[in-house]
Amino acid sequence: MMDIIRILSTTAKLQIKQSLARPMFQFCLLVNPIANMIFLYELYFNRDFQDFISYGVLGSCLMGIWSCICFSSIGDINRERHSGTLPFIYVAPGGFGIIIMGKILGNMILSIVTFAISFVTATILSGKMIVIENIAMFALSFVMMILCFVVVSICFSYILMLSRKTELYMNLLEIPMIFICGFTFPIEILPSLLKVISNCIPITWAVKILRMGVVETNLQEYLFHVVILLTQLFILVGITLVLYQRINKEIRIKGTLEVR
Amino acid sequence: MQFVKMAWLDFKGNRSVYNFEELVTLEILYPFVTLIFYCITAGYAHQNSNIITWVVGNAFLLCTNICIFHLGLGFIGERYTGRICSIITGNLSKIIIILQKGFFSIFLSIFTTFFGFFMGCMVFGIDMKPLPWGSIVITFSAGMFSAVGFGLFISVFGLISDQMYMILNLTQCLLLILSGANFPVSQLPYIFQKLSYVLPLTRGISATQTMLTQASAKLPVQLVLGELLVGGIYFVLAALFIKRIERSAIKRGGIELF
Repeated sequence: MMDIIRILSTTAKLQIKQSLARPMFQFCLLVNPIANMIFLYELYFNRDFQDFISYGVLGSCLMGIWSCICFSSIGDINRERHSGTLPFIYVAPGGFGIIIMGKILGNMILSIVTFAISFVTATILSGKMIVIENIAMFALSFVMMILCFVVVSICFSYILMLSRKTELYMNLLEIPMIFICGFTFPIEILPSLLKVISNCIPITWAVKILRMGVVETNLQEYLFHVVILLTQLFILVGITLVLYQRINKEIRIKGTLEVR
Repeated sequence: MQFVKMAWLDFKGNRSVYNFEELVTLEILYPFVTLIFYCITAGYAHQNSNIITWVVGNAFLLCTNICIFHLGLGFIGERYTGRICSIITGNLSKIIIILQKGFFSIFLSIFTTFFGFFMGCMVFGIDMKPLPWGSIVITFSAGMFSAVGFGLFISVFGLISDQMYMILNLTQCLLLILSGANFPVSQLPYIFQKLSYVLPLTRGISATQTMLTQASAKLPVQLVLGELLVGGIYFVLAALFIKRIERSAIKRGGIELF
């Protein structure tokens, strides 16, 4: 257990250093949340302050984290492939899964900065303090959201391991997920079919419980959403494990880790 | 003829890595989803029924993928494929090279923008019969012209910078916020209002929105001419800057630096 924690922390530290050195990650981490916040502030300019917090401020925070995931966590496989280190970490005694998780954790720790930047920008723009109604609920929702993003990132990282066109797919993932998971508007306004798809994605529920933390919410309803999120995450972990087994087998049989 | 052939080769070369399905997803489906996303967000935030205003604005912004990213990364692509030194030291005018890179992109942007607008109208149930299509074609074409000019201007900086992804993403953010696609430019602080009219698309979006929301549906000629002028200025700036930046790139010896 201690070995796993050591691998996780060492990889996360290294990942933080590497990510911070990349200008594109700096952009995602520092500039993107400010730009998103300005855009959403102007968009929700004529709406009441509560709507602005729920969809503008949280929307910007979530978009910031999701961009960091898309352009870093998911793209890390590609970067390792380009630098020729993918086969080494793939067969490392520590375990490929643990290393990937360490990388994602490192990025996730960094991407929390986007939350702080969005909140500060929103406060400056609106000239009002942003008050969180239920701190405990918000903190729990925040932890659950991080957990959710980590699981989703690992799942996508494994899937994209099969392709050399990671750059294309990570670009294609960004907006559709922001759209379907209702980062900037309530999913209730979407057509029924899209609502069904949206409800099958754990991120949607993570977004919902996070939003519940900033407005007054019924505890029972909140717990119901948490249970759905945990169930979906549990299923996603199962799917990821099965996927990993299959992808691992395919890579070893076809030898396609670097050439596909 | 040689110009068109080279332009086609460049256009094809940039997309040859993708198969047909990926290309359709990248050039058509993804922009379409992006348009729907921004329209729904704007529609919800403004809570008004005038959705066509946001469909028009976001249809214009669809061209940023091609005009800003594809064109902007033109010289970066040449650097990666090892052709940049041949281009810099070759006899062919760099302006011709830039124009070749933009030639087919302008047609594709017009198609993507129209497709986005058409599909946006279908999705949001906008009656397309009474729309002044002739005037819409003119405003869209003027917008694409200026966006391509702007994209070429930005692409020139690829000769001296290895941070083009950051520059292009920043440019895209500026266009999203300042072009008036999702909220009126008049809502912005004074200085940003002025800045927005220096950028491409602002006048094109404003002209089309004015036509579609006012009963007269007359083409705002002044705005269209303004848009064409902005585009023309960017083409001229690209031509002027390339000589200077080319010299600077040779002097700094950083042409092939990654």
